[in-house]
Amino acid sequence: MAGTAAIPKPKRGGRWSPWLFAIPALAVYVAFLVYPAVSSLFFSLTNWDGLSATYKFVGLSNYFKLPHDPVVVTAVKNNLIWTVVTIAVPTVIGLVLAIALNGKVHGKPILRLIFYTPAVLPLVSIASIWGWLYNPQYGAINSLLRAIGLDGLAQPWLGQDSTALWAVMVPAIWLRTGFPMLLYLAALQGIPNELYEAATVDGASKWQQFWHVTMPSLRPAHYIVLALSLIDSFKVFDMIYAMTYGGPGTSTQVMGTWMYFNVFQYYQAGYGTAIAVVITLVAIAVGIPYVRSQTREAS
Amino acid sequence: MTAIAPAQVTAATSATDTQPISPGPKGRRGLVITFVLAVVALFWISPLALLVITAVRPLADFVGNGPLSWPDHLTWTNFKDAWDIGNFATTYRNSAILAAIKVPLGVLVSAMLGFALAKLRMKFRRTVMFAVFLGLTIPIYITIVPVFIMMRQAGLTDNIFGLIGPYLAFGIPFEVLVLQSFFRQIPDEIIEAAKVDGAGDWRVFFTMILPLSVPALVTVAILDAVATWNEFLFALILLNSDAHKTIPVGLLNFQGQFANNNTGLAAGILIAVVPILIAYTLLQRWIVGGLTAGSLKG
Repeated sequence: MAGTAAIPKPKRGGRWSPWLFAIPALAVYVAFLVYPAVSSLFFSLTNWDGLSATYKFVGLSNYFKLPHDPVVVTAVKNNLIWTVVTIAVPTVIGLVLAIALNGKVHGKPILRLIFYTPAVLPLVSIASIWGWLYNPQYGAINSLLRAIGLDGLAQPWLGQDSTALWAVMVPAIWLRTGFPMLLYLAALQGIPNELYEAATVDGASKWQQFWHVTMPSLRPAHYIVLALSLIDSFKVFDMIYAMTYGGPGTSTQVMGTWMYFNVFQYYQAGYGTAIAVVITLVAIAVGIPYVRSQTREAS
Repeated sequence: MTAIAPAQVTAATSATDTQPISPGPKGRRGLVITFVLAVVALFWISPLALLVITAVRPLADFVGNGPLSWPDHLTWTNFKDAWDIGNFATTYRNSAILAAIKVPLGVLVSAMLGFALAKLRMKFRRTVMFAVFLGLTIPIYITIVPVFIMMRQAGLTDNIFGLIGPYLAFGIPFEVLVLQSFFRQIPDEIIEAAKVDGAGDWRVFFTMILPLSVPALVTVAILDAVATWNEFLFALILLNSDAHKTIPVGLLNFQGQFANNNTGLAAGILIAVVPILIAYTLLQRWIVGGLTAGSLKG
């Protein structure tokens, strides 16, 4: 790649010039992201209720309370299930679609358009669409089951503990398959044809070609897909809030929604921010290798 | 907001239109794959297709014949009802104003920072990059309590202008990541030549860097507009009254009111997503190019 080195020191403008370009964005970034995030660290050490003018410093006691809160235990479990499923399933489907689309297929642009469409819709609208499909009485899903004679399988998908979390994951998978598909599709086109020709000459089967040529060549794509999915999955909030509100009971609570309810409904802002701090630290920890890779490349 | 961050963006040529790589038997095999993919695609798009069909049929027909039947006749009244009751005239205006201010401003300040990181001899460059890109990993909800307090003190709660600062801040990491990697591919020689001719950094930025980067700027602007249009959590906590709500928050309310009117609900959901769907269909080349091109070749 051309031009990675910084240009020679300018004669005019001086060494302050770069900062004049950098400061507007950095100021906004610090004021509305860094500063609030750091203040949350402080609030998490208090017993503030979110309303009154006074609060007391309580040290780490909010954090000690976390493991004894049964909802936190549920939320952590749900976060983990959510993360594994909403990374694994869209990645695998996206890879299969990309490989299929990479062959001799007609109407490629329209197929690509269809599979990526859910990714641009507002999460709230996706939640509305699926809430409507899942409606026990008038929803298309139960109607379909009844129409094909599987009346026994029709059920209140979002209204019962046993199915609610899985039912919310389906639209998340629908939404998130398009991105890996696009990335894999681009990566597949970068694999030189000679590799496949050489493998064919050596007598490799299609399956062997997949494992020994395709998969290793896709390593950078795997890395980006997994890193970004992991960062994204940890932040889950909108979909669950808009579809089930954490319920029924606490069966679909995740850390993000439980934080929200503590702050805005139970007036425990101190405890709520402690929950947010924990999930943020985990998200940063899993994201750091990706951030480092992006920074390193630039130097 | 989805963190979609390619490592780099080259000129937005969609790499996906080049020739397929896998050899093998042609013709029949391709038709079989096309057929299978078409069936999967039909299944994939069926929630939206069902939404459209439901939105254009009378409620009585939907209730009488079920969601999977073909409509006996078509009607536009669902859209009219949904538009009026859903307060869409207001939420559309609010979302549009917000995007019209936030997107150009965000792209400009991000481009400036990206330029400093990519082309100027800036001290602590890697530290700044690391700190800014780390923002990609930070969940919005860690900031909501302090942001809510800040906005209340500034008198900007229940005001769409109160959303601009937080929206800018959460857009910056992605925009800077994409733009600086694009800028780095602009050859230093042409910048040096301009400097020899006496141009300062600002002149280089506005007359060379920005015009040469139109594909990247457009891609970033589109993705940013989609993210702004779709943002939910800040809007949910900062906006209370119906007159100030954005599309996603308005839609959530609307859903409750239409619990028993399935055709009206379908029409309302469609009204909310149609601008995004049209923009996406028209501009998808840029989006696809921006998401994929170059991100794997670095």
